[in-house]
Amino acid sequence: MELSELSGRLSYTARDLAQRARRRLTSQQKTQLMVLTPDFTARPVISFQHVWKRYPTGTEALRDVNLVVPEGDFVFLVGPSGAGKSTLVRLLIREEKPTKGKIFVEGVELGRMKRRQLPFYRRKVGLVFQDFKLLPNLTIYENVAFALRVHGQPDAFIRTRVAEALDTVGLSGKELTYPANLSGGEQQRVAIARALVHAPSMIIADEPTGNLDPATAWEIMQLFMRINARGATVVMATHNREIVDLLRRRVVAIDAGQIARDDRSGRYHDDSSKSQIRAQ
Amino acid sequence: MTILRNLRFALNSAWQSFWRNLAVSLAAVVSITLILILAGVNLLVGHAFSQVLDGFRDKVSVMSINVADDTPLTSVYAFQQQLQGDPRVATVRFVTKEEALAEFVRDPNNAVLSQQIQGNPLDAKLEVRVRSLNDVAAIDSMARQWPGVDPTDPTNYQGEFVTRMLQLSQWLGFAGIGLMAILVIVSVVIVMNTIRTAVYHRRKEIEVMKLVGATEWFVRGPFVLEGIMTGVIAAAIALSLLVISYPPAVSRFSADITFIPLTYDPTFISSLARDLLAGGALLGALGSYIGVRRFVRL
Repeated sequence: MELSELSGRLSYTARDLAQRARRRLTSQQKTQLMVLTPDFTARPVISFQHVWKRYPTGTEALRDVNLVVPEGDFVFLVGPSGAGKSTLVRLLIREEKPTKGKIFVEGVELGRMKRRQLPFYRRKVGLVFQDFKLLPNLTIYENVAFALRVHGQPDAFIRTRVAEALDTVGLSGKELTYPANLSGGEQQRVAIARALVHAPSMIIADEPTGNLDPATAWEIMQLFMRINARGATVVMATHNREIVDLLRRRVVAIDAGQIARDDRSGRYHDDSSKSQIRAQ
Repeated sequence: MTILRNLRFALNSAWQSFWRNLAVSLAAVVSITLILILAGVNLLVGHAFSQVLDGFRDKVSVMSINVADDTPLTSVYAFQQQLQGDPRVATVRFVTKEEALAEFVRDPNNAVLSQQIQGNPLDAKLEVRVRSLNDVAAIDSMARQWPGVDPTDPTNYQGEFVTRMLQLSQWLGFAGIGLMAILVIVSVVIVMNTIRTAVYHRRKEIEVMKLVGATEWFVRGPFVLEGIMTGVIAAAIALSLLVISYPPAVSRFSADITFIPLTYDPTFISSLARDLLAGGALLGALGSYIGVRRFVRL
């Protein structure tokens, strides 16, 4: 297949998706989509300062990364596989510690955080993953409630919050269903409800649309947009070019462990590099 | 309230996990039951031997110092006073020649001999009860240096017998401790592997727990409880089997080996129950704590 033909097909898919997405959006959501742009004067909630990460195998996953994410921002982390996106996410949720440099989240340095403080940090963050990480032997209600149960919340509080979270993701009435009986998109909605149920100030998502078809992926993205519109900061590692290009949010491109580009309302690929390719 | 809610969650989780992995749980219960039966038998045998040894010990801790016929009573009383003042000595009793003869005649084992005795060939004696068997030798050498002692038959101290008995008692103690240590290690390893299997089955749940902000103890709690549950169930089964088989085993042993005065001691059952149940719970907790430690680290 010719390169130009492939490029044409891809741009067609993106256009098609955008049209389908716009048809699904209400006028209010359309307005939100247009109006919501990151406020860079807001207080920074995430700050990476000269962060390096080298794994014991010798792989250097991140090299001198500097990044500031203001409160309420929506950041796409993009880049090829192995570029360091997932390492950045793992550092953010303190599954890993930086080899060098400092990471601050809401003023707290993650590298210095004691192990016993870590659960309380994670309770401020909502996490969404490509593989949903739902527990198959628990119902939808129990899966979402699980996040509050481990915090030791009372049953009455759990009931109210789970109902709200399931309503937000459009899964009210499916409380007693098991994950295996849901579609991929619905399972990801459950995962999002679980990430939302404790009202976190920040959502970190690692390839949340990676296992979903384009239409479902777009529905999931709408959910993230709504969560962001309510004030939560969203950091999302993704490969989904169409969605990134469509939403035109902040794009931090990572390549070979370094931040290659940080566009306030960017695209998946750097436009200037495209024009360079075209010029060649 | 949060602690109670967490405890309820841990108990529910432990109970569910026990039943969900029933085959593995039962295998662990059976293995630990066998180990606890061995431990219980070890305790029972140890207890029976200590009873027997206590009897022997009681006998050899009383030493007779034979007094020469020409020793003045003042010298005997002086030596008795000296012995009573010794911290190693519990009691001293002076037995006159007449009392010694009367005791000899009273003993049914001496029935034939006592009829053949003419006059009183027996010595007067000082019966000394020492506090510790280890001090019998020292008291014996002290008695031998006393001028009033009968030089032909100074004391009834049987040094070699006491030494051997002390050694036997020591070796039995060591063997018991060694066997217990082996049993503890084996059962901890069994519980550890059972819990690791449970952890493997629930690894996804653990991962999610950690990601949504569960504390290490929240994750660990259900597994430790499951380990305790396994240990206590095994201990209860082992205890029941031991309690049922203890009296017939003792009577069979006593009938077969008459020279060892083994007896059934019902008071030991309560201490055996306490030891086995506490041991089972502790082994279960320890095994699961070690088994799950690596997986729950945040």
